[in-house]
Amino acid sequence: MRRLISILAAILLLPICARLDAQAPGGTIVIVTGEQATVPVPTLIEGAAGTRANQELADQLFLRLAVRKPGRATSDEKGYEPQLARSWSRRDSLTLVFGLDPRARWHDGKPVTARDVVFTFGRARDPQIAPSLAAQLQHVRDVRAEGEYRVVISFDEVYGEQFFDATYYVQPIPAHLLASLPADNISRSDFVRAPVGDGPYRFVRSVPGESVELAAEPGFFLGKPGLARVIFRTATDPAARMNLLLSGEADAMASVVPPMSNRTRLERTGDFRLITTPSDLLGYLLFNYRNPADTSRPHPILADARVRQAMTLALDRHAMALSQFGPYSVVPFGPVSQMLWLGNVSPKAPRQNVARARALLREAGWNDSDGDGTLDRGGEPLSLSLIVPSSSIMRRDIGVMAQEQLRQVGVRLEVIVLERPVWQERFVSGRFDVAFGALRQVPSPSSLIDSWTCRGANNVSHYCDPAVDSLLSTAIVTQGNAAPMFVDALSRIEQDAPATFLYAPLEVIAVHKRYAEVELRDGSPWLMLWHWHVRRGQDLPRDRVVIH
Amino acid sequence: MRWLAGRVGQAIVTAALAVVLAFFLMRAAPGDPLSRLGDEHPLTPQQVQVLRARYGLDQPLTAQFRAFVAGALHGDFGTSIQYGRPVTDLVLQRLPASLLLGTTVLLITFVLGSWLGAAQALRAGSATEQTVGALSLAAYATPSFWLGLVLAWLVGIEWRLLPAAGMHDPLLAMDAPWATRALDIARHLILPALTLAAVNIGATMRHERSAMLQALREPFVQSARARGLAERRIRWHHAFRNALFPVVTLFGLWLPLVVAGSVFVEKVFAWPGLGALAADAVSARDYPLLMGVTVLVSLMVVGGALVADAAYALLDPRVRRA
Repeated sequence: MRRLISILAAILLLPICARLDAQAPGGTIVIVTGEQATVPVPTLIEGAAGTRANQELADQLFLRLAVRKPGRATSDEKGYEPQLARSWSRRDSLTLVFGLDPRARWHDGKPVTARDVVFTFGRARDPQIAPSLAAQLQHVRDVRAEGEYRVVISFDEVYGEQFFDATYYVQPIPAHLLASLPADNISRSDFVRAPVGDGPYRFVRSVPGESVELAAEPGFFLGKPGLARVIFRTATDPAARMNLLLSGEADAMASVVPPMSNRTRLERTGDFRLITTPSDLLGYLLFNYRNPADTSRPHPILADARVRQAMTLALDRHAMALSQFGPYSVVPFGPVSQMLWLGNVSPKAPRQNVARARALLREAGWNDSDGDGTLDRGGEPLSLSLIVPSSSIMRRDIGVMAQEQLRQVGVRLEVIVLERPVWQERFVSGRFDVAFGALRQVPSPSSLIDSWTCRGANNVSHYCDPAVDSLLSTAIVTQGNAAPMFVDALSRIEQDAPATFLYAPLEVIAVHKRYAEVELRDGSPWLMLWHWHVRRGQDLPRDRVVIH
Repeated sequence: MRWLAGRVGQAIVTAALAVVLAFFLMRAAPGDPLSRLGDEHPLTPQQVQVLRARYGLDQPLTAQFRAFVAGALHGDFGTSIQYGRPVTDLVLQRLPASLLLGTTVLLITFVLGSWLGAAQALRAGSATEQTVGALSLAAYATPSFWLGLVLAWLVGIEWRLLPAAGMHDPLLAMDAPWATRALDIARHLILPALTLAAVNIGATMRHERSAMLQALREPFVQSARARGLAERRIRWHHAFRNALFPVVTLFGLWLPLVVAGSVFVEKVFAWPGLGALAADAVSARDYPLLMGVTVLVSLMVVGGALVADAAYALLDPRVRRA
């Protein structure tokens, strides 16, 4: 009997021992990024400072109330896991109650309380302090503390993504350190130079223009971080970033592809594995419905849906995406990046159909009457311009491919490369025929409202379909299965072709092979970095670090 | 003394004009620092308006200029739109890196370049002179970003002799001895400094070579020889000193390199200098940051030109009398 118990105990304990054995003590990760975090403080990550670098660093320093599990819909309240909030419940359809984990501590040792959450929501909802955040939180009516560890958030209307809004946009900041500082003075304060958070890693030092170092918080209440040290190292030039990886000076990097040659170079070293996660990026050619010279009048060519549809069908979007991203991209159905869960329930995008494109153009009255290869109607050629920002080599390359493919059906497309601020100015003011846009979407489908509804604040092309508006607004407030309504809206958008949606890539991330328990989250790949550790026996000299 | 006061007065007016021009020209250029937010991180027009007010961009141009001057006189250039941090902090943080790289490159370029140029002149017509001349010309014709990429790949990746990028090893402990830290910076400095120096040294060598050849033919050299002075003294004390004038002119012209560095080289080697910061500020139309960098660079350039003038006067008293 005793022998049997011993065997059973050994079997049960074996995986735990093996795991303990597998983890090397210490552990360092050097992550190369394209920009340095300068204000990694929630509520300040706004406007131009709303960079990925700031957000990625803030994700290590500051916790959210809860985080969404991978692949789960933003409206699925059961699809979230606790962070600062240990539990949550609904008081009614307009009120959420969060119970904070009393073990949570700021890095200066003070407890994280409901006052911190209320204070942060107050800053985040003030349009003078955080205009963008305030707009995202427009449906939050009130946030109040009930006791030290309970927060009550109420909303002004019933909709499916209340929980997402309450947890995604706001990461509490310490009221005891910041409440006495005027809001417009925080960017000049010592707090920004050395933020005090409540996350798994605490701030150690920043070397301007070069790196930011974090150290594991040994008393982190959700568990001891597996890596002792995290360094975000900056190189603005893509070639310099690759050099740091290839020379062995760095361990991980996001956005490896494009170009595809990076994959080959990394595979040759044998030190890295490439991991993919859904990306928030969406590339598209946006058609202007209005005349760029006089936006009160319809566009002389593109106001006709048949021309827009023909241009979309004339393009081999799969080949375009393949040329830049290799296997790491899909042609989206509607304005849906891979990070939006809608991509999983949408149909496939139609493939190139040159014959149908030609037929549509003929139907719209465009013929090559003078035999010069460009279609014309009433003496006017089917000639358009495409504006592309000079900062993106990829968009420039795809623009040239589009030019050639459209030439085959008789559409003349002039590719105009503009300096980025000039391109932006023309894009925002609607002074273009076709614009090559690239959008980073938040994970919520409610973001579609901004660009693809009649009154959308970012609807620069003046696309308008009241049926789409109705479908989207109904889907957003639906608390059950809203997917069919969203798909209907996407189908209508596809049919009307306000844009040709070209690519929705995956985020390709290179990670050194010595790390185990590697978990990457869409939107913020390093969010679960504290779960990672270095495999015993594979540690490098830089891993042998002890942080007290 | 009066000569110096006059030169200082000119320098102040020049710097002020440069700053005023930069302020108005940047705002006259197409593009808006806030409209860029409408692409990948969409903001509504109302949100953009709030930000515009925050940075004072909703004010008339003259009011913006007055605010800029008032702040600049107190060393406050406002908050960077792109980085969300005070401009003065950002610029002062990057200045040491630029000064280190720029000064090193200038020292190599002018000390080594002048010596090599003079030595070429002294061995005019020899095989060594022709080889060195061809090599310097080839280096001069090489684009710095290409040379930088090749050096980073070869020395940093293939041979792993020196760091491929950066200025510090981020893994170095904060309490490491100063000698270790200095050595670390020196190792990081070699490749970017070598790249910039290799590209620039050719010009110095060629100017110095022709000036030295010219000087060696001057009557005062023949006179010194007739007086029986040692050949070494004639060459290096008399001829070389006179042959330095064109190089001093070049030195004045290349002084911006000390502050602004080379954008390409800073980018390729991830060197945290002002050059790359300024380039990013231009492409983002980050007016406050751009003005902060412009003021600093203008002051340094004008100050450098002043130093070059003073050096001229020191080398040749006729300049003071002119």
